[in-house]
Amino acid sequence: MTRLEFNWPDEASEAVRAARGRLEIAGRRLASRPFEERLRVVAGIVDTWSRPDSPWRRELSERLACDSGFHRATIDEGLDSALRAWDPTRFAECARREIDHRTGFERIELVPYSCTSVLAGGSIPMPTLLSGILPLVLGSPVLLRENSKDAVTGELLGRSIAECDRELGECLEVVRFAVEDDAAMDRFLESPCVVATGSDDTISSIRRRLTSNQRFVAYGHRFSIAVLGPQTTRSEAALARTLQGLALDVARWDQLGCLSPVDVYLVGFSPTASKRVAEGVAAALEGLSISEPRGEHPPEMLAAHSVERSEARMRAAVAEEAAYFDGDDFAVVLESDARARPAPLMRFLHLLPVPSAAALVRALGPFSSRLSSAALAGFDETEAERIGQELKLLGVSRLCKPGHLQTPPIDWPHDGMPLFTPMARFVQKD
Amino acid sequence: MNRAAIEDELLAWMKSDDWTSDPGRFDRIALELFRFQYDRCKPYALLCQSIDRTPDSVRTANDIPAVPTGAFKEFELRCFDAAGTIRTFHTSGTSTDRRGKLHLDRLDLYEESLLSSLRHCLLTRSGAARRIECMRFLAPSPDEAPHSSLSYMFGALCEAEGGAESGFDLRGDRLDSDALHNAVRGARLEDEPMLIAGTAFAFVHFLDDVGQEDWELPLGSRVMETGGFKGRSREVPRSVLHSELAKRFAIPEVSVINQYGMTELGSQFYDSTILDPNGPRRKLAPPWTRVRFTDPATGQDAPSGEVGLILIQDLANSGSIAAIQTADLGRAILDHAGHAIGFEVIGRAEGAEARGCSIATDIMLEASRGEPR
Repeated sequence: MTRLEFNWPDEASEAVRAARGRLEIAGRRLASRPFEERLRVVAGIVDTWSRPDSPWRRELSERLACDSGFHRATIDEGLDSALRAWDPTRFAECARREIDHRTGFERIELVPYSCTSVLAGGSIPMPTLLSGILPLVLGSPVLLRENSKDAVTGELLGRSIAECDRELGECLEVVRFAVEDDAAMDRFLESPCVVATGSDDTISSIRRRLTSNQRFVAYGHRFSIAVLGPQTTRSEAALARTLQGLALDVARWDQLGCLSPVDVYLVGFSPTASKRVAEGVAAALEGLSISEPRGEHPPEMLAAHSVERSEARMRAAVAEEAAYFDGDDFAVVLESDARARPAPLMRFLHLLPVPSAAALVRALGPFSSRLSSAALAGFDETEAERIGQELKLLGVSRLCKPGHLQTPPIDWPHDGMPLFTPMARFVQKD
Repeated sequence: MNRAAIEDELLAWMKSDDWTSDPGRFDRIALELFRFQYDRCKPYALLCQSIDRTPDSVRTANDIPAVPTGAFKEFELRCFDAAGTIRTFHTSGTSTDRRGKLHLDRLDLYEESLLSSLRHCLLTRSGAARRIECMRFLAPSPDEAPHSSLSYMFGALCEAEGGAESGFDLRGDRLDSDALHNAVRGARLEDEPMLIAGTAFAFVHFLDDVGQEDWELPLGSRVMETGGFKGRSREVPRSVLHSELAKRFAIPEVSVINQYGMTELGSQFYDSTILDPNGPRRKLAPPWTRVRFTDPATGQDAPSGEVGLILIQDLANSGSIAAIQTADLGRAILDHAGHAIGFEVIGRAEGAEARGCSIATDIMLEASRGEPR
């Protein structure tokens, strides 16, 4: 017997419409539940994901290993280290601090949006997990659009919520449609609150489609850096710890996330010390090539990596202060100046010498709207405080030690924003 | 063999219009040129030494180290004294970008290479077909853009082959469609075939801006486009652009061809469809060039017909570096017997969007524009 399949042109749009209809009903029940009850359930979901023996995490890892380009060991380590930092108590405290305290003391009422549309971006699962649960705490059901690179996380999150609380599980609908499907996208973007993670182009194109009375929370593309001071090389043990941490920050998720460092600024290093750092971080990356090999990524990305390697090799050959180290799946380039150069990612690290903290600030100036996080090491306390302050003014929203860039706590101010408030709607009660 | 002798032989090769592949001749000249360029260009010599591929160890042309196109932005890659420079072409970009530069101390070889390819692939005619004399260019003139290799090429073509009705129809970034239309009308009245050549984005503006006038070109006319669109016009797939241009000018699609070239090279590569209208559309390589495809993961030659980074050895680059590693992806087009009969360009490595919540490859360069340090 022949199985006939009909693909109607508006099939995806209809699926979005149907999901929205279901969410409307589920959302009314959700909004009627007290804030504390919603928070308790969602914090419980965070807890199930953050446990080392979480079956959801295991399944996510297994399926991402098949569906994404990442190596299984990289996924396991990435999920383990990131979710370990997701403390449900801290999550709940953050929600109370941002929402409950305001509504309790300031005579302000939280009014849930009837629906929050979440446009997931990229293949790293943490942003999708987090943006999928935050609106639920606020009493808003979630319409989550998966992207083509990760067809796993949204579905698993939905199942994990339903297992904790069936009614809450009905408040998350995962939809999938092509980005070119205007009808489906228009319907998806009808929600009064829209959250998006993606490239500048994606963010701009969504912004253009929304009306001025819709709430839009956008997480654009950024990059992270490390800043090392002259004390880095003072003790062998501290140097090894710093370089191991840096290599881990680079290798995690193959450097594809915005928390990955693409440049390391070496402040006030001698040429010899700079070379020592470059050599050391290359050796640490070589070690990670074995325990957490780089995954299989698209040919255009490999090609970009290869082109940048050729150019870096030539710079290193010509400039005496420059050096180049590589392995099968990484490259470390010690540059002779702090000029910006393309970052092909996938474990490609530039080390940029700057003579002083003032030169560092000058070098980073053009990127002030692009910086996400910075790892800082090798400075005395006063200098670290001073440089940290400058970095904060340049837009860095998190400072940490090398090795911790990719594992922020659950309540870190992503892109400088509070966790819940940007997606919340308040009304003053006089 | 000294440089003058190498260039004399190359000039003779280019003038012969014999496009039969001659690997032995190519290898011999390429190795001579490598020795010369190694001796005269210090950055190149340092690169060769760093990877242990010097004239003492390199035995075949395929082992000659290639310089990445980005190196033209960083270094002065010339094999003659700077004082001897008579022309410098710049890669495209904004005024504050670092731009790649090709320095030349003689123009005859450069011109012979470009004219030979244009005559062979674009202006070729069979039997009683008439010669194309009317040439209009949708690009700035060489006077307006003295550092543009494309404008120089069009200027050289116009001077060598163009008639009195030839000229440039892009002034100050504005398309003079009246002048172009007058030329088209004139060619139609005379029933003389014409050539319209220009940048791809200029053709997109042409398609977007011109009205419903009759743009039909006389029989035997040709259209040639080159370059990308990024930031200059809407993006149009090349096949769509060709089809729209063919429709607008009422010429067969095989008469619309693309040129693949770059400032860093002395030679260019044209679509095959005028020479071989029934075969697959592919780029043809002049015999004094060699195009290879390297596996980005290993740096070795990709298996025949597989996608790889395009590496070009262009002997016309006698005064700079002949072996160039591009940032473009491509693959050889094979005939039934598995022999390469040309190649196709698939896309660019740079600008490939990174996955996830991450930055695009060139985001840092974009952010740093205008901030010299």
